[in-house]
Amino acid sequence: MDRSESNVRTLGRKTKQYAWLAAGAAALLAGCAKDAPQDTFRPAGPNARDIDTVARPVFWTALVVAVIVVVAVGYAMWKYRDRGQDIPEQTHGNPKLEIALTILPAIILAAISVPTVATVFKLDKKDDTACIINVTGQQWWWEYDYPTGKCGDVEITEPIVTSGELVLPIDTPVLLRITSRDVIHSYWIPRLNGKRDAVPGRLHTLRMQADEPGIYMGQCTEFCGLSHSRMREAAISLTMADFQTWVDNQTAEYSAPEAGSLAAIGESTYIAQCSKCHQVNGLANADGTPVLADPDQYVVSGVAPNLSKLMTRTAFAGWTFDLLTEECRDELWRAPSAEFGALYLQGVYMHSPDGVATPCFDEARLREWLRDPTAMKPMFADPTNLESTGGKYRGMPNLNLNEDQIDELIAYLLDRK
Amino acid sequence: MADTAVHTADHGAHGAHVTSTGLSNNKLAMWMFLGSECLLFGGLISTYMLYRGRHGSGPGPNQIFDIPLTSVSSFVLLMSSLTMVLAVNSAKRHDDRGTNLWLVATGLLGTVFIGGQVYEFTTFYNEGLGFTTSLFGSSFYTLTGFHGVHVTVGIVMLLSLVGIINRSRIPGDKAEVVEMIGLYWHFVDVVWVVIFTLVYLIPA
Amino acid sequence: MAIIERPSAAPAVVTDDAAPAVVTPSAALGIFHRPVASTGWKSWLFTVDHKKLGIMYGVVAMFFFLVGGVEALLIRLQLAAPDNTVLSAGLYNEMFTMHATTMVFLFVMPMAAAFANYFLPLQIGARDVAFPRINAFGFWLFLFGGIFLNTSWFLGGAADGGWFMYSPNSSALFSPTNGVDFWVMGLQLTGIASLVGSINLIVTVLNMRAPGMTLMRMPVFTWMVLVVQFLLLFALPVITVALFLLSFQRNFGATFFDVNQGADPLLWQHLFWIFGHPEVYIIILPSFGIISEVLPTFARKPLFGYKFVVFSGAAIGFVGWGVWAHHMFASGLGPVSVAVFSVATMLIAIPTGVKICNWTLTLWGGKLQFTTAMMFAIGVIVLFTIGGVTGVTHAVAPSDTQQTDTYHIVGHFHYVIVGGAVMGLFAGFYFWWPKMFGKLLNERLGLWNFWLMFFGINMTFGPMHILGLQGQPRRMAVWPDKLTGDGFFDLAFWNKIATLGSFTIAVGVLLFMINVFVTARKAEKAPLDPWDARTLEWITASPPKEHNFDSIPTIHALDEFFHRKYEEVEVDGQHKLVRVRTAEEVLAAEEAKADAHIHLPSPSYWPIVLAFSLPIMAYGVIFNLMLLVAGSALLLLAMYGWALEPSVADDSDYDPPADGGSTSKELATHG
Repeated sequence: MDRSESNVRTLGRKTKQYAWLAAGAAALLAGCAKDAPQDTFRPAGPNARDIDTVARPVFWTALVVAVIVVVAVGYAMWKYRDRGQDIPEQTHGNPKLEIALTILPAIILAAISVPTVATVFKLDKKDDTACIINVTGQQWWWEYDYPTGKCGDVEITEPIVTSGELVLPIDTPVLLRITSRDVIHSYWIPRLNGKRDAVPGRLHTLRMQADEPGIYMGQCTEFCGLSHSRMREAAISLTMADFQTWVDNQTAEYSAPEAGSLAAIGESTYIAQCSKCHQVNGLANADGTPVLADPDQYVVSGVAPNLSKLMTRTAFAGWTFDLLTEECRDELWRAPSAEFGALYLQGVYMHSPDGVATPCFDEARLREWLRDPTAMKPMFADPTNLESTGGKYRGMPNLNLNEDQIDELIAYLLDRK
Repeated sequence: MADTAVHTADHGAHGAHVTSTGLSNNKLAMWMFLGSECLLFGGLISTYMLYRGRHGSGPGPNQIFDIPLTSVSSFVLLMSSLTMVLAVNSAKRHDDRGTNLWLVATGLLGTVFIGGQVYEFTTFYNEGLGFTTSLFGSSFYTLTGFHGVHVTVGIVMLLSLVGIINRSRIPGDKAEVVEMIGLYWHFVDVVWVVIFTLVYLIPA
Repeated sequence: MAIIERPSAAPAVVTDDAAPAVVTPSAALGIFHRPVASTGWKSWLFTVDHKKLGIMYGVVAMFFFLVGGVEALLIRLQLAAPDNTVLSAGLYNEMFTMHATTMVFLFVMPMAAAFANYFLPLQIGARDVAFPRINAFGFWLFLFGGIFLNTSWFLGGAADGGWFMYSPNSSALFSPTNGVDFWVMGLQLTGIASLVGSINLIVTVLNMRAPGMTLMRMPVFTWMVLVVQFLLLFALPVITVALFLLSFQRNFGATFFDVNQGADPLLWQHLFWIFGHPEVYIIILPSFGIISEVLPTFARKPLFGYKFVVFSGAAIGFVGWGVWAHHMFASGLGPVSVAVFSVATMLIAIPTGVKICNWTLTLWGGKLQFTTAMMFAIGVIVLFTIGGVTGVTHAVAPSDTQQTDTYHIVGHFHYVIVGGAVMGLFAGFYFWWPKMFGKLLNERLGLWNFWLMFFGINMTFGPMHILGLQGQPRRMAVWPDKLTGDGFFDLAFWNKIATLGSFTIAVGVLLFMINVFVTARKAEKAPLDPWDARTLEWITASPPKEHNFDSIPTIHALDEFFHRKYEEVEVDGQHKLVRVRTAEEVLAAEEAKADAHIHLPSPSYWPIVLAFSLPIMAYGVIFNLMLLVAGSALLLLAMYGWALEPSVADDSDYDPPADGGSTSKELATHG
């Protein structure tokens, strides 16, 4: 029969396709990914490894079951095709076989459920915490705040507030305390742990620990509105010594720009244009009074990123846009773990022996941002359309800065290192 | 249908009944609907139980409930179930006058209950508990409001039934229609018993 | 209304004259009379015939399938390249929200309702559903609700909070357009439609089975539809509560999801998923039912383990209530809840596995004919299995925290919904088309249709597993170049393949439309029993007469039709199945004992009027209270019209002509 012949042919095609899919899945499970920064099968810390340990066999089991079913169906299609045979016996089933086929998956699933439940509780442990970091989501960026106290071996003497990049010491069980200031977000660094929702009004915890110094990319994974896709994050793990250096720098005194420099003009531009929302620690007015940001008045979530040490980070605006040029960024990402810390601590001053020139700083991108942030990242920031929020923005509006102001601001911000 | 009945008799399965279960379609449908309603009130009651303690600076349940008053109106509603039973009984006896009488009585008792609820809502509002005041306010008014709407719909059905019976407009079996609406009415009463217990009697 | 419910002593009006009386039903209170036209557009507008309503459900659902499909293609175009600009971020968010909402509520559910409406009465040997007018009301409300929902595109923008509409992102502060209001009201309307439909079908199945049609002789499709209706019955009120809370908050200032007042955003999630997880089975079970009809027919042997399939279907229905929180493993429920729901979720894999085993074993030892319908059904087994096993990887909660909200999930549930539910519906099209329209769909086009969809599905949703496991989250208007790896893990490559795949599916669907068009134009009639089918719906003309069966058949076995055609005879000491009757003979035997009295419900004006009043009220809530008042007035009028219009009273009884002329035509004159 024509029909059955064509089916044999198509069957061949189908088997080939599944062989290919199976090969793909096998390669996937083997975890030979190159440079896929959010690979969920390449754990870089004990928590992600726990997940990996329980997940991997399940994926293999799933694959085997799928292959068995597909092969069985394919075989039946070939073996029992209509070749003019008699109408088959009208059997209504075989209870013994069916009970066996019910019990078999039950056993497999029971076997899977034991390590599953164990891992669920293991990942919820809190008694070994050596460092607590508060993580708060808002549209569309993450804020980290390091309370004073011990973090691993390092004593944090003054609270650190930063954004985008979570910096943590290696081999230290860190506990993130996660919440949100507006809608639900979800914090996720795939190579270090699974995700945990940041829910306003609730405090959730998530364990974080990295084995080696390095940079691990992540992304907000609970849909959080307009710019959900541009709410990213990264975790940076440093050796304890490097972490100490980072903490020292973050808590260092405010360094005022040299009088008369462009940066000094930038300081006053900053105070006039930016300081309503963005805090720079230690910044003072001409009369010596501290400049305190009051974002609550202008932004729905009530906060804006702290810019005291902007240039120690590698990206800005919800960790979406690089501060580093592409080459320097690649270099940092590819750096061997022994050299990573030193490179990272230089920030945008990478390859800048004099500490003045910034060959790694991607100025064009920051400039474009200052010209009109909403053109780069969609935000709810049209000043003529704010009735629903009572006049407040969700995100950063266009400040209509002129090129001179932008020059001044960039010079000033370059000093925030 | 004659034919169906004959076949059914052939198999000796259900005797005189023509539906497979023996329950009439209308009644079965009402039971299904009420099953669905259980989940509706289940959802509303859960919401209320979650939020009843969250009244912020507004008045809370303990400050505002007037248990004696609500007990009286609850009693009135329960009595209406009794009159509803009497209405169904009369309908089964083909006693149109009696049916009408008890239907009107049921409707009136229901109206008294709704009146009590309107009074209660007004009092609460004056004491500072608005719909938007707090989570407690929103969920309290939503839950009891939904129940109130159910009672009101019941009253409208009862009174419509009175008019229709008088004009002999009911197709098919009158007693069954009365019984169906009776099922609905009892259900609404039972829901109130649950609400009254959970919302008013058990302290937050 | 129910036609079967009339007491057996009821042949009250046995008229003397044999000519069918064209009856104008009595008018009650002047305006409240019933329409009598049963030809032309009026016969569709005011019909209460479950078959006409089934076809209308199908046509409208197909239309929304195309709408949702175009939305899907736009989404895939946007994601074909990094930082793409086909859609703005805002428009993208509206697009994926409406794609999911349309496909779930306006395509898969109503398409299943189309099959259920058309075939459920036929499969149990009934002449109509229990409440024909309510049936009509359900259809019109679904249609108006769907249109209402989609008008949001032109009235300020569609909903942009995702189909799960998590609070507080759905509050007016974060979603200030009317889109979410349209979404809420639209789902309320279609929800009411589904609720009344479910009550109707439950009563129909429980009460209106033909003599001998015990529950365990019912076709599996009817069984699965019955389970689905119970799921709807209990799941819909929960989402109704959630939608009320949300609309009270958005429209009347209630505080249910206002975190500043102390609200818990997880309340919405629980309510949504208590509905949302049964919804998954509401989507998939009708398709399971369809392929459980198709596979035995073309394997020429009964479904393997009928009882197991039925009970596992019911078990899925039950356990489906205890697993909702597996959608919330990352929500911060705490380890105890997570562990419990994780294990419960694995539990549900067991009955699902039973089904797959039974389908495979149905093929085993059969005599397989690879018609298009059969290919779609086998496609369901294969694709659903893939979707099923990846489902188990999510049941493992720690593993799920890596995968949830990534493309791995998107791949998983599209294998289940497109590979499982939609392919099953297509199997139903090809299988039942000759029954519904008396013509066979073109098999050659059909097989092209199948293979394009089959490859398209694997091309689109297969790569999504790789994308997700490599960390591409879902619901992202753009994905960055930085995210991609090299070689096998070049996510840019897989995104392009997925986009190509989606267009392959679209071509497959287009071929189906062409097939429908070609088939409609050809004159050739289908044979009465083209597939050598097994169940009751085939013991009647194709398409069935308005009253379905000339005489209500008496059922003796599962697969009644098969057993009337085939009998076991002993040949040389061996039992052999031999065809003893043709389908035509079986049908002729039934027609020979045609019923003397056939009661059919009359058409009615009120279902469509009642359904029309509700979207007016919904517009009123959003835009103008006067509209709300007008809508309510119409609602009241329609309700009283409905209650007061004369029922199918004795005077519309119909006696077929004594000379045995065509009955269906004359019935149509006063239906």
